[in-house]
Amino acid sequence: MPKRDLPRLRVVTDSKDETDEYDWKDSLCFTSYGLRIGIRVNRKGALDRILPFLPPGWKKSRSQIVERLYSVVIPDDAKGGRRRARNLVYADGERVAATPKLEQAIDAFESDLQLFVAETAPRRVFVHAGVVGVRGRAIVIPGRSFSGKTSLVAALVRAGATYYSDEYAVLDERGMVHHYARPLSIRENGHLEKPTKYRVETLGGRSGVKPLPVGMVVVSKYQPGARWRPRRLSEGEGALELMANTVSARRQPAAMLEAIRGVVSRAPVLKGARGETQQVVDFILDNFGGL
Amino acid sequence: MKRQDELLMPEARKEGLIVRELSGEVLVYDRDRSKAHCLNSTAALVWQYCDGKTPVSQIARTIESAINVPVDEEVVWLGVEQLNKSKLLKSTTVPNKMSGLSRRDVMKRIGLAAAVALPVVTSIIAPSAAQAANCLPSGQGCTSSAQCCSQVCSGGMCA
Repeated sequence: MPKRDLPRLRVVTDSKDETDEYDWKDSLCFTSYGLRIGIRVNRKGALDRILPFLPPGWKKSRSQIVERLYSVVIPDDAKGGRRRARNLVYADGERVAATPKLEQAIDAFESDLQLFVAETAPRRVFVHAGVVGVRGRAIVIPGRSFSGKTSLVAALVRAGATYYSDEYAVLDERGMVHHYARPLSIRENGHLEKPTKYRVETLGGRSGVKPLPVGMVVVSKYQPGARWRPRRLSEGEGALELMANTVSARRQPAAMLEAIRGVVSRAPVLKGARGETQQVVDFILDNFGGL
Repeated sequence: MKRQDELLMPEARKEGLIVRELSGEVLVYDRDRSKAHCLNSTAALVWQYCDGKTPVSQIARTIESAINVPVDEEVVWLGVEQLNKSKLLKSTTVPNKMSGLSRRDVMKRIGLAAAVALPVVTSIIAPSAAQAANCLPSGQGCTSSAQCCSQVCSGGMCA
């Protein structure tokens, strides 16, 4: 591929890196949440394997100047030999994965890309949370991995709520929630299993697109046998719960405070341990007058 | 001769902080320490009146007249102690007899029927981007320890 057609970083350094030695066969530039990102691959057809892992709502871009450049190197099976047997992923010239399994390389690519977007997107604050829409308002369920937020999101979607995200609540400066509707990552057999991805339609649900005001924030952690008896937090306590899950907390603290203030000043933040998911689903639906 | 605690005039730190008011509380983000604090209404008032020129006894009287309820000096000391621990005051040395003051101590001294809520500063360390993101469970492929829930990536697998 001619060099002029390849994506290139907005900020360029003179130093050469490992990726300069490859012969790039295909590339893509796209925008996602206000960022322009490029990918180049050394094999024809490799992009098709990668596209399903791009952030939801990405759009092709005609400009080749990007803020982040991924380089994906897939070994040539025919060549053999140990040196080239690994799949390599570079972000801005720095290696983020080197593995014999393409699936693992793509996982690392997806994870790095997702984090880059969540941390650096302008005018958006990404809180690690599940989100559904009920009667025109968003239910935000902040929490890290294994806090059970995806199970709760899936249960609410099965009960008729509109799916917004099982990963991030994307907030704007007014505290409105935008969608990040990637396929749900559900762990079928305990937390040690790799999650399986499900399109929301396979759960009988649908995705929302329109930004929503937050109607309720539910902070819960699964505890076997626990009964859902939440306590309403003060605005400040609720804000701290959301901040503890904000990806760009350190990079964009002023934007974070503004967006989170917009949420807690309008919506109650409830916290408690939960046992069975259905208790929380019923509680939420009761509070919102059903679906 | 004046007592040491009578001479102390705590001063609120302003540099490196982002402050947002909520209804009755104040959120403070400390850029230097990557910490976020929530000050309840009483702690926020104490912080507001720590101007470096006013002794604690006077701060108590100023708050009293601002909110129109009696405020014991010990309540202000408890606030100063908490704000000081949270590094929200300019290098303040709290007198020995006041340092380590707990909510329980103050409750005992002024009684349960205090007219004003005791000052409370709640703090968290702001997560790094990787900490706030999803982590990988044991046995999954990884390239760095930060990706793993266990925080240990060994031989390309999360421990």
